[in-house]
Amino acid sequence: MQVFFKRKQQPEPVVPNLGSITLSLLEGDPTIPFTLKQINELPENIRRRVYRNLVPAHLLTRFGIDPITWLGANKEPLVFIKAEHEKIFVSARTTPAEEDEFFALELADNLLNGIDLNLLLLNDPTSQRFGTDKDEHGRSTMFGTINRNMAEETRAKEAGLAPGQVRNSLSASKIVFDQVETFLATIGQRAYFLEPLTYASAWVFEKRGFAYVRGHKLMDDIHREFQPQGKLYEALNASSPFRQPDQWNTVRGRAWAIHDGILETIDMNWDKLRMVKQVGKYANVNTFPNSIY
Amino acid sequence: MSATPHQVTLSAELESLPRFRELIQAASLNSGLSDQDIYDVQLAVDEICTNIIIHGYADMDPGSVILTAEMVGDALKVTITDFGHPFEPTEPPAPNTEAPLEEREEGGLGLFFVYMSIDELQYESSPTGNVTTLLKKKSP
Repeated sequence: MQVFFKRKQQPEPVVPNLGSITLSLLEGDPTIPFTLKQINELPENIRRRVYRNLVPAHLLTRFGIDPITWLGANKEPLVFIKAEHEKIFVSARTTPAEEDEFFALELADNLLNGIDLNLLLLNDPTSQRFGTDKDEHGRSTMFGTINRNMAEETRAKEAGLAPGQVRNSLSASKIVFDQVETFLATIGQRAYFLEPLTYASAWVFEKRGFAYVRGHKLMDDIHREFQPQGKLYEALNASSPFRQPDQWNTVRGRAWAIHDGILETIDMNWDKLRMVKQVGKYANVNTFPNSIY
Repeated sequence: MSATPHQVTLSAELESLPRFRELIQAASLNSGLSDQDIYDVQLAVDEICTNIIIHGYADMDPGSVILTAEMVGDALKVTITDFGHPFEPTEPPAPNTEAPLEEREEGGLGLFFVYMSIDELQYESSPTGNVTTLLKKKSP
């Protein structure tokens, strides 16, 4: 086959380099997107007005937090933002204590001035907490990616959590993604990207309309090999609490086995996956048909 | 005014091509397009998607191809979105179809047929996705 499409050597950036946001830039073409870096260079109170769009008001009022002042019932600050350089991090808590965080989100400009979602946490603060985020010496496990707390992970799995979780989810991902898209549309961005930490989170992102930049074939391969007689199915040999035979047919079961390294069975790793959500569009990916969570 | 678009998102693999052809068939149902029109679109989609699969996602763990098809007025509009390497479309050289088979160069007919068999072809690339749009009008 002969190709009549020539590969571009230098992809164009999403946002042209127009410098800081000025009144004349704001009065100009409203379709030109802004970067987070440009927004972070604005005065603090303007930044706060802009980033207020990132936190669903309904989620805050559910925990008695004023969606405008970000204060709790005792007038203590319960929403915190860190807006520096190319990143915005937002955290909301039921009390000022870090362990009572129920919402955390980090967005960042990527190398092409598009937007990456680096972190999204939605924890039900009323549910039991598991110490999967710290090892027996109190060091961070980085969601179980650097090291693991096997005892706590075993308890978390038995309680129905997915890898990387410390509590039950708030089941609020839809309103959070809707809110993120509204924010991105406001600043003129047409899409955002993320790298799913676990198989379970990739499955959730599929349900929220994401497609794959990399890794769609891997997800298809995983599904095929978890079918009876597949290599991953056969590798669920009860050799660890995370490789029980009945884990082949649920999202969480597969996720724990993959977290435990079962993909090495098919000479693969859980890495290099990248997903994309186009603002206002739903990709309708389904790599695990008729799935049970 | 257009009907609800048909859409499928699959992995960028050659095994996905039959599903893409099925979607074109389903979107063309009761459209008034002739069998030849539908075949032309299926051929064009096959060629574009093969290029995406082989060249667009070259050296990558393949991502997704999103295929959307809908009747817009008296034409079938097909949109193919991918997230592989961006390309720049160029005019295809016309292959010498008059030459004897043994004298012709191997290949070279793929996108030539695409340009010949559909009415409009547009391609846009950006870091947020590459979009190829085909339009096939009903034959008179």
